[in-house]
Amino acid sequence: MTTTQRQASQTAAPLGSASAGPGSTAPRAGGRPKLSEKKRDGIAGYLFLTPWLIGFFVLTLGPMLISLYLAFTKYNLFTDPEWIGFDNFTRMFNDPQFQQSVQITLTYVLVGTPIKLAAALGVAMLLNYRSKGTGFFRSAFYAPSLIGASVSVAIVWRAMFNSDGPVDTGLGFVGIDLGGWVGNPSLVMPMMILLAVWQFGAPMVIFLAGLKQIPGELYEAADVDGAGPWRKFRSVTLPMLSPVIFFNLLLEMIGAFQIFASAFIISSGTGGPAGSTNFYTIYLYQRAFGDLQMGYASAMAWLLLVVVGIAAFVLFRTSKFWVHYGGDLK
Amino acid sequence: MFYKHSRRTVTAVAVTAAAVLALAGCAASGPGASEGGSEFDPDAEVTVNFTWWGNDDRAQKYNEAIALFEKEYPNVTVNGTFTDFPAYWEKRTTEAAGGGLPDVMQFDYSQMDSFGSRGLLYNLTPEYGTNIDVDAIPESALAVGDIDGKSYGLISSTNAWAMFQDKTLLSGIGVEPYEGGTSWEDYYEWIGEVTAKGNGVTGGADPTQRIQNFELSLRQAGGNLYTDEGELGFDEDDLTTFWESANDIREGDITPQQRIEELFPVSGFGANIAASELTWDNFGAGYLADSGKAVDDLVLTPPPTDDADAKDLYLKPSMLLAMSSKTEVGAAGAKLIDFLTNDPDVGKIFGASRGIPASETQREGADLAGQDANVAAYEESIADRLGDAPPLPPEGAASIEQKFWDLGKSLDLGVITVDEAVKQFFDEAEITLNN
Repeated sequence: MTTTQRQASQTAAPLGSASAGPGSTAPRAGGRPKLSEKKRDGIAGYLFLTPWLIGFFVLTLGPMLISLYLAFTKYNLFTDPEWIGFDNFTRMFNDPQFQQSVQITLTYVLVGTPIKLAAALGVAMLLNYRSKGTGFFRSAFYAPSLIGASVSVAIVWRAMFNSDGPVDTGLGFVGIDLGGWVGNPSLVMPMMILLAVWQFGAPMVIFLAGLKQIPGELYEAADVDGAGPWRKFRSVTLPMLSPVIFFNLLLEMIGAFQIFASAFIISSGTGGPAGSTNFYTIYLYQRAFGDLQMGYASAMAWLLLVVVGIAAFVLFRTSKFWVHYGGDLK
Repeated sequence: MFYKHSRRTVTAVAVTAAAVLALAGCAASGPGASEGGSEFDPDAEVTVNFTWWGNDDRAQKYNEAIALFEKEYPNVTVNGTFTDFPAYWEKRTTEAAGGGLPDVMQFDYSQMDSFGSRGLLYNLTPEYGTNIDVDAIPESALAVGDIDGKSYGLISSTNAWAMFQDKTLLSGIGVEPYEGGTSWEDYYEWIGEVTAKGNGVTGGADPTQRIQNFELSLRQAGGNLYTDEGELGFDEDDLTTFWESANDIREGDITPQQRIEELFPVSGFGANIAASELTWDNFGAGYLADSGKAVDDLVLTPPPTDDADAKDLYLKPSMLLAMSSKTEVGAAGAKLIDFLTNDPDVGKIFGASRGIPASETQREGADLAGQDANVAAYEESIADRLGDAPPLPPEGAASIEQKFWDLGKSLDLGVITVDEAVKQFFDEAEITLNN
C-alpha cells in the first residue's frame, strides 16, 4: 500500500516542499499543520504493528530482561530475589550435572546435526531424478519432520526402542542382542540422534529446491571434461549448494541446541537413565521447576543464548570461506 | 530505516519497556490468610477448583466422591483435575508464583512447610468445628498440619512404610515369602535366593535407592533424617555405609535397573518382575491395577531391621487437604474438605487407597475389606515398632528424596561409584536446603 501511494504523492508534489499540495506540511489558514502523507503512513504502520509490539515487549523482551536480572540473583518464586552477583555462573562451572548436560547437548549437536544434514542431502539427491515415485517419496520423507517434535511421536519412539519393542526384536533376528535402548545409558543418545535424523525431511526439501536450481550446463561441462560422479559432486554440487547448506546448518544447529520435548518424554522428565538424556534444557527445567532455583536456571538460559549466538556468529564469519553465492542468486 | 520521528519512537519503546519491567517488578505480595470461619450460603451457586495427584484408579474414585458431594450440596460444582506426583508440584509452584492456586488441593506432608509458611495456604483453624467437623480425628493427627499454631492442612489418612510381596509368584518359584523384621542381611540373602530360582523373576529392586529405607536404618540407631532445625541428621560416612551395604546384591541379584527404567512409571513389582518391594502401605491398589494380581496374591510384611527392639517405623500423614489462601469460595471449599475427610460413603469408595482414613467415621464407613483390611491389619501388626513421628520435613525435602533416588538408580546402572554418589548428594542437599 505505502509504496504506490508514496510514489503517487511524490509525483504530485515534492516531499517537504512548501507548496500547497495535497500532502504538504504547509499550515492551513486558521488550522494546525496537517501531517505529511509520509508521516501518516509511518504512524499507520506503527499502529498496525502495535499488537505485535505489545506481544513482543510483554511476552518476549520483557521476560528476557527480567530473566537477565534474575540470572544474578537467588530466587525461589516465593521470596523476593536476592542479589548474588556472578555466583550462579561460578556455580555452573563447578556443577558436575551442568558439565554433563553441556557434554550431552554438544554431543547431540555435533554428531546429530551433520548426520541429519548428510541424510537430507543424500535423499534429496536421490529424489532429484524425475521418476514415477518421487512425488510420493518427497511427501513421505517430509512428513516425519512435521510431527517429529510432538509428544506422541516421542512416546511411540520410546516404546519402539524398549527391550521388547520392534527395533530390538528386529535386531535380535540378525543376532544383535542389545537388551533395550531406553533403559541403557549408553544407547539412549544414539536413540535420540536417530529420532533427530528421522526428521530429515524439512532440510531435505530445501536441499531439493537448491539442487533443482543448479544449472544443468555445469554438469554437462563437467561431463565434457571427463569428471566422474564423485568429482562432479565435490566440484559442482557442493559449491553451488553451499548457501543452502549454510542455511540448513545454521537452522538445524540452533534447533538442536534447544531440544526439549522429545528428551523430556523419552526420559519421563527425569533426564534419562543415569542422566544420559540430561540435555541442557532438561537440566534447566529441572532446576527451575523441580528445585525452584530460578536464579540458577535463568543464568543457564542466558548462557545458552550467548553460546548459541556465538556459534551462529562463528558460522557466519567462517561462511565466507566456503559459501559460494553464484552470480544469479540474490 | 528509521523515519524522521525515530527519536520519539525510540523513547516510546524505552518507556514501554521500563513500564513492563516496573509492573513485573511489583511481584504479587504474599497473601495473608483470611480470618474467621466463613459463612456457607446453601443458595449461592459456586464452583470449587479441586486438584489431586494419582493414577487413573484414584481419579475415578475422586470423581465418584465428588458426585456424592455435589448431590449433597447441589449449589456447589466441583472442577476436579489431576496429574502424576512429580508434575503436580511443578504445577503448584508455578501457580503459587502466579497467584492462581486451586481452591482445594490434595497436599503432601513434605511440602506443607514450603507453602504453609509463606502464607499461600488458607488457615483452616477457624473452620474446625464450624464447616469442618474434627471430632472423629485424633488430636495428634490433627496437629500434623500446624505451623505456628495454625492449621494449614487437614490430614486425610495415614500410612506406614511396608514390604509388599507376591506370595503366589513366590510359591510358583518355590521360595517362602520373606518373614519381615529380621536383619537387612537376611533380606539380601532372600533376594539372592529368589533371583537364583526365579527364572526371570528377581527378589526385589535395590532397597538402598529409597531414602525411607535409609531413614529406617538411621532411626534404628536412634537418629532421624532431618534435625529439628531442618538440617541433615546424618553425615557422609552414614550414607556411604548404607549404600555400600548393598554392594553384593547389585551384582545380579536385584532387578536390572535398565529394565526398571524402561517400565517407568510402573515399578518392578507392578510389572511382575520383582517378588517384593519396599514402599508405602497404600500402594496396594496401584499395584493391583498395574500388575493384574489378585488381592490374595499380596502380602504385607514389616521391613527389615537390624535391631529387633527398634522403634523405627512411624505413621506418616499420607496426604492432607489444603486450600489456597486466595480462594473466594472458602466456605464451600471447607465443606468439600470436611466431606472428603469424614464422610463414610467416601470411605467406602476409597477404602485405604489414600492410606488408612484418619477420621474414625470414615474408617468405619470404609468397611475395610480385601486389600484395605490387609493394610489396616498391617498397621496394627507393627504397633510395637511405631516410634515418635520425625520432625516436619524442611522445605526441599521432596527434592532431596528424588535426588537420593536418582543417585541410587545411577549406582545400580553402574555409572557412578558410591563415593561420587555421596559427594553429589551432599553438594545437592546443601544447595537445596539453603535455597
